[in-house]
Amino acid sequence: MRMVVLLICIVTLGGCEREKRELRLDPPVAAALDKIALMQNRIAGAPPQVYFALDRPFETNAYNLSEGKRLYTWFGCKGCHGDGQGGIGPSFLDGWWYYGPEMVSIFASIRDGRPHGMPAFKNKMTTDEIWQLAGYVQTIGAYSAKTAAPSRNDDKQVRPSENRAPAAILFDQGPTPVHPDQGPTP
Amino acid sequence: MTETIARAETLDTELDGTRLATALAQTWKTERGLWGALTTVDHKIIGRRYIVTAFVFLVLGGVLALLMRLQLAQPEARVLGPDRFNQVFTMHGANMMFLFAVPVMEAMGVYLVPLMVGTRNIAFPRLNAFSYWIFLAGGLLLWIAFALDMGPDVGWFAYVPLSGPQYAPGKRADIWAQMITFTELAALAVAVEIVVTVFKQRAPGMSLDRIPLFVWSMLVTSFVVIMAMPAIMVASTSLILDRLVGTHFFNPAEGGDVLLWQHLFWFFGHPEVYIIFLPAVGMVSTLIATFARRPIFGYLALVMALIATGILAFGLWVHHMFVTGLPRLGESFFTASSMAIAIPAGIQIFCWIATLWDGRPVFKTPLLFVIGFIVTFVIGGLTGVMVASVPFDTQVHDTYFVVAHFHYVLIGGAVFPLLGAVYYWFPKFTGRMMSERRGKWAFWLIFIGFHLTFFPMHILGLEGMPRRIYTYQPDLPWHGLNLFVSASALILAAGFLIFFIDAIISARSGNPAGDNPWDAPTLEWATSSPPPAYNFAHIPVVGSAYPLWDQPGSLNVASGLHSDRREIVITTITIAEPQARESSPQNSIWPLLTAITTTIMLIWSIFSPWAVVWGSIPVAITLIGWFWPSGTPEDEA
Repeated sequence: MRMVVLLICIVTLGGCEREKRELRLDPPVAAALDKIALMQNRIAGAPPQVYFALDRPFETNAYNLSEGKRLYTWFGCKGCHGDGQGGIGPSFLDGWWYYGPEMVSIFASIRDGRPHGMPAFKNKMTTDEIWQLAGYVQTIGAYSAKTAAPSRNDDKQVRPSENRAPAAILFDQGPTPVHPDQGPTP
Repeated sequence: MTETIARAETLDTELDGTRLATALAQTWKTERGLWGALTTVDHKIIGRRYIVTAFVFLVLGGVLALLMRLQLAQPEARVLGPDRFNQVFTMHGANMMFLFAVPVMEAMGVYLVPLMVGTRNIAFPRLNAFSYWIFLAGGLLLWIAFALDMGPDVGWFAYVPLSGPQYAPGKRADIWAQMITFTELAALAVAVEIVVTVFKQRAPGMSLDRIPLFVWSMLVTSFVVIMAMPAIMVASTSLILDRLVGTHFFNPAEGGDVLLWQHLFWFFGHPEVYIIFLPAVGMVSTLIATFARRPIFGYLALVMALIATGILAFGLWVHHMFVTGLPRLGESFFTASSMAIAIPAGIQIFCWIATLWDGRPVFKTPLLFVIGFIVTFVIGGLTGVMVASVPFDTQVHDTYFVVAHFHYVLIGGAVFPLLGAVYYWFPKFTGRMMSERRGKWAFWLIFIGFHLTFFPMHILGLEGMPRRIYTYQPDLPWHGLNLFVSASALILAAGFLIFFIDAIISARSGNPAGDNPWDAPTLEWATSSPPPAYNFAHIPVVGSAYPLWDQPGSLNVASGLHSDRREIVITTITIAEPQARESSPQNSIWPLLTAITTTIMLIWSIFSPWAVVWGSIPVAITLIGWFWPSGTPEDEA
């Protein structure tokens, strides 16, 4: 009986986090979320404590991921990255992350920009918007699908939707071999 | 040879009254305790369970309604936030339609139809048990999801693209869609059982023109269910597919169609209204005949009106879509067909008034609810004719006028008769009477509370208040009426509270009822209250539509059934001549197990399409268990 109650509690907590819709973050929380600790080379690092205290909401929460998808369109990411296939900018579906697949790296790329054309968005988007977008971008390139990931848009289909793990389905190493740093399998 | 002799001794002609009753009770009994509760296939136990569960959902949905009224009582209130409010109104609608209104009507049929046609159990009793478990699972799915902040928030009709993959993140809309699958499965199962029970298990002599009107109404309702529910199951499954595997049923960019959803939904959704209303028509016809102390006026006209309503129900779904931009001819056609529904409804109303007029009405609580029904339903019908006209509908679309209209027809047209029916059949269900005094209090509080709550909503709608808003600004002219509506809702809630208190108290300590406390004419009153497991010791033979009035004292009965196995009489469809003795299945745990495996498959399939493949294996195993011959006497057909 106690196990059942415990199970219900766990499911309850899980459900709450996954489906919660935080329409507006508390300003202090949003400020704290901006304080990421990056490595010297601006690749990888640690998100702020509050990110874990919130239970990594931008990776596991369906609403945040779906908002990220809308921001992806609204802020013109498609202009360079297409629907994840890349273009002027790098692809998110090819199994290769220039700066690693960690949330902080993606967050830093969007916030501060990167060399060779990636602009900084810190003056155009709020901190939680950048986090939402980073979570979504990570979802595009994820090899195992999350149930919280968004599904297709009401548009022309160009690739399988995010919850079908397009990166795993479409992975194509192309004429050039996999980058030596990447290892044998994605 | 010896076996034949032994079998012959179990015939009901060979046994005297008490020995027959003991033998039948032994054959038809449900074990006491948990195992008995889980394995029973007795239509009375399942029907009672169904009714109680549906009323629990009514209470839960009512609490949500009160929450919304609390939020809307004043401008800019902070009781519920916008996100929670979206969930609450969606839950209220979905819960009331799919977990209360349809199941409770079906449940009344499950309990009463076999008794009213004079048979010992419903057709396909194990399917009946399965149906209840599936219904319960669907209800739990919806409410547990709501408790997890996963409650659907896209409105009870879940229009795409709002409910589609792009605009409804997470699993909230999937929960709604899958809950639909559960309740439709349950409803379809009951519909099939009732059709077969009515067509093949009627008491000998109960020709088509002697069927009680409630049974007629359940028959027509069941056909409407069988034809309407597949549309919504297709729609909700397509929605889940769009959302989960990225199909394009409702994606215009890939050749899908957004309006397709509305057509599929309302092709079910409008008949749904009659699925709720037609049983109520049957209840009213039954109650009025009993309390007016005369046969119903215009039996044939009432049956024809039932069938006409059932057919017309499929020809007017487009009136829910008048503002989607239809061609002029389409608008005119569906306006005309919507108004045509007033003809059978009018015939029914006039038949009931004529019966009351010519009878000697006894104003007990059930009849009060019927009178309340006639008044309320006529008002709801009038606003219905108003919104059937395109220019008017365009004006009030999605306003509180529509909210007022459909609460008048649904509460007025179905809940009032249902409460009357509960007061009427409660003695049969429990063996005890409900209190007349508390019943009158409940009626007047509900009736007055209802009109004070919902009538002002017409005015709010004409003043432009949209439905489904979670708050409004103080400078809008709505807050006075909203406060009044919220206060009146408390009167309505108090009435329901008294009703439930009365039901609970009466079930425990009401006055013993006797077999036929209302001196009613139909067969369910020919057996004891509550009925024994086998319903009737001898299957009655019917010579008129009102057997207990026309053959007072003693009914003719049929004999020749075995008492050592569950046996029922099969009769012909039109004139109900006996055709065969047929066995009726014994208790079984397999319906519950099948319901559990089906539930696992359906819920899992919200998260992964592979659930349909792997999840169907346990379903197949439990179904094999269900139909495996068990060597009981019932297996010999």
